[in-house]
Amino acid sequence: MDNNKNLQNNLFLKQFNESNAIAYNKNFLANGSDYNFQLLDNAYRNAGKIYAKLKIAVENNKCESEYCSIELAQIKQLEEAPQNSLEFLTSLMAELSVTEEPNYDPNNNYSFTAANSLMSGKPGFSRTDGYNAYLDLLPDGSQQIVFTGPAFKTIEQDPFTFETFEIENPLIINNSSLIALLESDTSLVVSTPDINASMLKLLPETGLFAQDQVNEKGELGASARITEEYVMMNADGSFDYEIIDIGNGKGRNTLKFDMEKINKKVAPFINAEVAGLMSSEQDVIAAWNVYIAKGTSVEEDDQMAQDANSGNEYWSYESNLPLAQENKVLFEIKYKEYFMENYLKQFITNQVPTVKEDAAVFDLAEAKKAKAQKFLADNNLN
Amino acid sequence: MGIGPASIIGGGLSIVSGLFGASAARKREREARKERKRLQGKLNTLEANRQEIVNPYQDLSSMVSNPFANLSVATGAAEMQIEEADISLANTLDTLRATGASAGGATALAQAALRSKKGVAASIEAQEKSNEDKRAAGEKQKQTQLMAEAQRVQEGEAYEFGLREKREIGELDRTAALLGASKQAEAQAQMDQTGALTGALGTLGGIAATPGLFGNN
Repeated sequence: MDNNKNLQNNLFLKQFNESNAIAYNKNFLANGSDYNFQLLDNAYRNAGKIYAKLKIAVENNKCESEYCSIELAQIKQLEEAPQNSLEFLTSLMAELSVTEEPNYDPNNNYSFTAANSLMSGKPGFSRTDGYNAYLDLLPDGSQQIVFTGPAFKTIEQDPFTFETFEIENPLIINNSSLIALLESDTSLVVSTPDINASMLKLLPETGLFAQDQVNEKGELGASARITEEYVMMNADGSFDYEIIDIGNGKGRNTLKFDMEKINKKVAPFINAEVAGLMSSEQDVIAAWNVYIAKGTSVEEDDQMAQDANSGNEYWSYESNLPLAQENKVLFEIKYKEYFMENYLKQFITNQVPTVKEDAAVFDLAEAKKAKAQKFLADNNLN
Repeated sequence: MGIGPASIIGGGLSIVSGLFGASAARKREREARKERKRLQGKLNTLEANRQEIVNPYQDLSSMVSNPFANLSVATGAAEMQIEEADISLANTLDTLRATGASAGGATALAQAALRSKKGVAASIEAQEKSNEDKRAAGEKQKQTQLMAEAQRVQEGEAYEFGLREKREIGELDRTAALLGASKQAEAQAQMDQTGALTGALGTLGGIAATPGLFGNN
């Protein structure tokens, strides 16, 4: 399935689950929905009988295998099965619930969103709606869960007649595969790191702000300002202001910042932050797709019904892992831009002088004239 | 069984509530572990790439020297003086020979020349003595300066050590706090998970003791 289709399906499922539209669906209201998937009951329906037969065979020495080795192994599997089932379902539900996070990356396979909808009994995902789920105890001792239904079908096209038709494409997850994944710190469904929270924490760590402006939680206070060390000064030690026009012929001074110095100061902290993220490359892709690729501002995202996603600049979990070096470098560059644009900019834009007299509003024409005269005097041009 | 998680999972309400509790705890555990890994990676990079501490008290002892160590004695003028005395003696002797002066005059002259030469030697000796005094004074000054520099370097090392210690302890404290917090969260989540699953397993498990537990058989 191409990524656009996957994205559309994911976003559709998200909106469908979040909207209240189902309450206005007369068919849904009029007809009952059957959610009796009964995963455990169905999985263990015959297990008791099999277990009893095996036990009897062992106890009466009527095993088919030499020394009852196979029968004993099967008994062991069955004894361990309930705990394994519970752990499997626990891990699976924990993974699938990631699809409900507000910053979930819709570039993840949409079938996980559908499976979560089914497992959490969302309207529209019942047996009546054509969905089903099975937990199977497999002969090798492992277990698998199978999800089927309308969301687990793909549309194919006949190469000769060009007719389209649906084929079953169930989502099958094996417990031993899932456990192996999780034990290697790999997620089945990746949770997008909260870049906004990380960047808010990063601000006071950069050392651009005085320690007394950071509260005990490590967050910047409301009146935090970048220290004067990073403000441009004249040779005589006075502040080198930028004059801004505030209308009606009036102007005021604003601080100019030494961006080269600021960039140099924050770079190691941003590098460290990115290095931390790189401990999970899945997370990097999620952060790229949800926050970094498009470089939209937090405000822009807030104004949209759905946060901007990476669109055509997305990175695929299937084909972009492991991350190429050039992607890592690109991520770091764009991460820094995102930080500067969304978090640092407010502290370096339109900052009123700390010297009270310099902060007053003044006549713009006079100020410009005075500045020109100072320039002439400083350069012996009079 | 009605609509809801219990009918989806099956096996009874206690299993379902146990599963939901355990899966929430599992999620918290994974998040805590992920956060720990992220913080560890971040701190490792911070530690590896931190700026060098510049010691403002760097050792300048190589720049300390005795300016009077190699003073030379000005012998040129003394040699000239001796030559002049010899020439003067020779000229005077010629004059004495021409005028027929007595031998006693020549002796007096020779003695005068000797006195002059002795004077020159005394001058050189005085210069040498003066130079020696200066050299000793210079050496004393050099030693004092070297001692002061060594003390200053020690202070610098103490400053550098103190600064590094302060920074490293700060970072270590922070690492320990962060790791401690995430480990604690992870451990708590694991305990929550075990607690939730134990209840559920009590219902579902025990097949060895009760073979007919599963399903309806």
